[in-house]
Amino acid sequence: MVAFFRGKLAFAFKVAFLAGISALLVLLLISAIGQKQYAIGIFLILVVIGLNFTYLTKVSIPLKFFYPGLIFLLGFVVAPIVFTLTMSTYNYKTGNYIGKSEAITQIQKLAIEPDASGSTFDIVVGKYKGTESAILASDTVKKQYFIATYKERFDLNAADLKLNQYEVATEAPNFKALADTELAGADKLLSKSRFFYTSEFFVALEGFDVGALYRQKLNFLSDKDEFQNISTGAVYKDNGKGNYANIDNLSEKLEPGWRAPIWFENYSKLLLDPKVREPLIRVFIWTVVFAVSSVLTSFAFGLLLALALNKPIRGRRIYRSILILPYAMPSVMSILIWGGMFNTEFGAINQLLGTNIAWFQSVTFARVAVIVVNLWLGFPYFYLVSSGALQAIPSELNEAAAIDGATPRQIFSKITLPLLLRILSPLLIASFAFNFNNFNLIYLLTGGGPKSTLDGDIAGATDILISYTYQIAFGSFTQDLGLASAISVVIFLLVASISLYGIRKSKVLESFV
Amino acid sequence: MIKWLREDLWRHAVGVFMIFFALFPLYLVVISSVNPSGSLQVTSFIPKEFSWKNYQMLFKDPTIPYLTWMKNSLVISISVALLSVVISASSAFAFSRLKFKGKKSGIQLLLLIQMFPAILALSAVYVIMERVAVFAPHFGLGTQPGLLLVYLGGAMGVNIWLLKGFVDSIPAELDEAAKIDGASAMQTYWLIFVPLAAPVLAVVSLLSFIGTFNEFILARLFLVDMGSRTIAVGLQGFIGGQYSQNWGPFAAGSLIASVPIVAIFLSLQKYIISGLTAGSVKG
Repeated sequence: MVAFFRGKLAFAFKVAFLAGISALLVLLLISAIGQKQYAIGIFLILVVIGLNFTYLTKVSIPLKFFYPGLIFLLGFVVAPIVFTLTMSTYNYKTGNYIGKSEAITQIQKLAIEPDASGSTFDIVVGKYKGTESAILASDTVKKQYFIATYKERFDLNAADLKLNQYEVATEAPNFKALADTELAGADKLLSKSRFFYTSEFFVALEGFDVGALYRQKLNFLSDKDEFQNISTGAVYKDNGKGNYANIDNLSEKLEPGWRAPIWFENYSKLLLDPKVREPLIRVFIWTVVFAVSSVLTSFAFGLLLALALNKPIRGRRIYRSILILPYAMPSVMSILIWGGMFNTEFGAINQLLGTNIAWFQSVTFARVAVIVVNLWLGFPYFYLVSSGALQAIPSELNEAAAIDGATPRQIFSKITLPLLLRILSPLLIASFAFNFNNFNLIYLLTGGGPKSTLDGDIAGATDILISYTYQIAFGSFTQDLGLASAISVVIFLLVASISLYGIRKSKVLESFV
Repeated sequence: MIKWLREDLWRHAVGVFMIFFALFPLYLVVISSVNPSGSLQVTSFIPKEFSWKNYQMLFKDPTIPYLTWMKNSLVISISVALLSVVISASSAFAFSRLKFKGKKSGIQLLLLIQMFPAILALSAVYVIMERVAVFAPHFGLGTQPGLLLVYLGGAMGVNIWLLKGFVDSIPAELDEAAKIDGASAMQTYWLIFVPLAAPVLAVVSLLSFIGTFNEFILARLFLVDMGSRTIAVGLQGFIGGQYSQNWGPFAAGSLIASVPIVAIFLSLQKYIISGLTAGSVKG
């Protein structure tokens, strides 16, 4: 057995294993760099170097144990955290999603306008002199015919051509039309092609047999990093926030923009922009109310149960195993089930209560429903931990109090409860932190609603911060990853300070017990 | 008898009331799943008809790839359960048993990291994996291996932390003895530690299994194709907004999907509760 760890065979095995993994990583990093994903490429280079360094030298033995876990933590936890921080300082949203050079190409492609008279041509797509992509264009009104390639235009006489009954040219010398099968294959390329007309105008295809005359509206001057409108002369300069904007009218921007650093603007928006600030404050208040009332109701019911069952009464084990079922069920399933039960027309709740409440359409009822469901999900947890804590309270304390003449009620409120709170406060805080980010419940039960989408409002009445952030980042309106990241950072600071407070409390506890 | 009434009656009253509350949705799903009409409307709380129609629909209706979803969920969850424990066990061992510089700050850093709710970095993970998809289409956004990698990363912090807690409670005499006999750290790890910690490793891997099976939002964001979805995403899409139409098969499907999880949970009760009090909360 020991020989397996020392010896040539073991070493050969190790080297082969390392080589295999390194080869895979190197392949990945080469294609990453090939696709210009430099950050990921550099990360992978460091991973490969670190890997071989760690396992082929004896510099640090603990590192041999840490390395795989460390890489996963760095790659999928630490890197996203750092990336969230970075994104929060960027203008990174729908319309500002791509890189700058891509944005310039896009702007050029989009900035075309038809000529004044809106000339169109009947087109046959084909090859000029066998190789060059070209079109045979006919203007049947003006009786104008020509072949155009990407670079040149050759005017033709009607006499040299074969015309059909609409006087559209179908054949011309040096020109061979593409067959239908070839057309289908070239579809994508053709839709982007610009065929030469004059130095200003070009013909762009609109379908396979019609083309229209266009010209480039904006010119990009790369040395000055600006766009110029050819007809009006307006100049568009980089506004430093990810768009080219008209220097005379800064609100006139060219689309699309690119992702660009705007430093603390996302954060200042949270405080200063009323369109962001007001829903955010509303959502924040509800988040706190929701988290506090979820913890309190679950704790109250769990504690009551724990007290009731804190005596070997008959059937206690049956009670216990049934009562933890809500906690054992996959929560995604139970939340969806509750969603059905709260259905207005057919739901079991309305039927049981004999009411006809539209639960998820009313702000109050939706909020009540969310808290009831979370109570169902959460009370078994507090039942379990409270039972544990009750058993941890020495019975001598209660007995001594009873001898001194305290009533059971006094014993509970003066001894048991304060001790319990002391023991459980870290867990209460942890549960608060968990519910603060209880995304699944809100998303699956109410979807954050009810909300007045007509007003363009993306914050619903039951949206908590994290589901609101999700709506901002991935919702169906503008997707603003920069703003969403800024809110995430704020949430993290809040939750982390709450949790650290909880941990410190539990440390105090450890030294106390 | 009077004494029983005075002392125990309220206990039973509380217990029975809470049992009704706890069981009501579950009971409803069970009766809905065997109700041949398959409708959300409960005609009576005591079932009058009984049929396996909803269950049959799950397995036969080609528009509901239930078995595929189930398979995806199991493959992903089992892979995460095994791999994450294999990877995190060695780190937990190092944290618990080896001496090295910066151990204390390492542990504190780990504590901080495992506290970070993965959902907060959701958009970052999304963008990163979108970029990975550009050069490695098999590991990027929209693929199961990509999702698996993200899950592994996310499970790492919590698992190392949990395992470290459990490992600390295994007496260190044996591996100290091995060290005195001249065993290297690697040998101690494989020959002494792993066999000793095997039950604990099993528990933690089952916990990761439950956690992964339950995960919704990353899976929702990653797995767009009907055929690559996990059971949670699949069922949510299936029922989404159409409670009245699809309720019967949904009830059957969610029951089947819940059974293994509930079974694991109940058999691990003891460990889960001690894990809970150690400060981690089940998602």
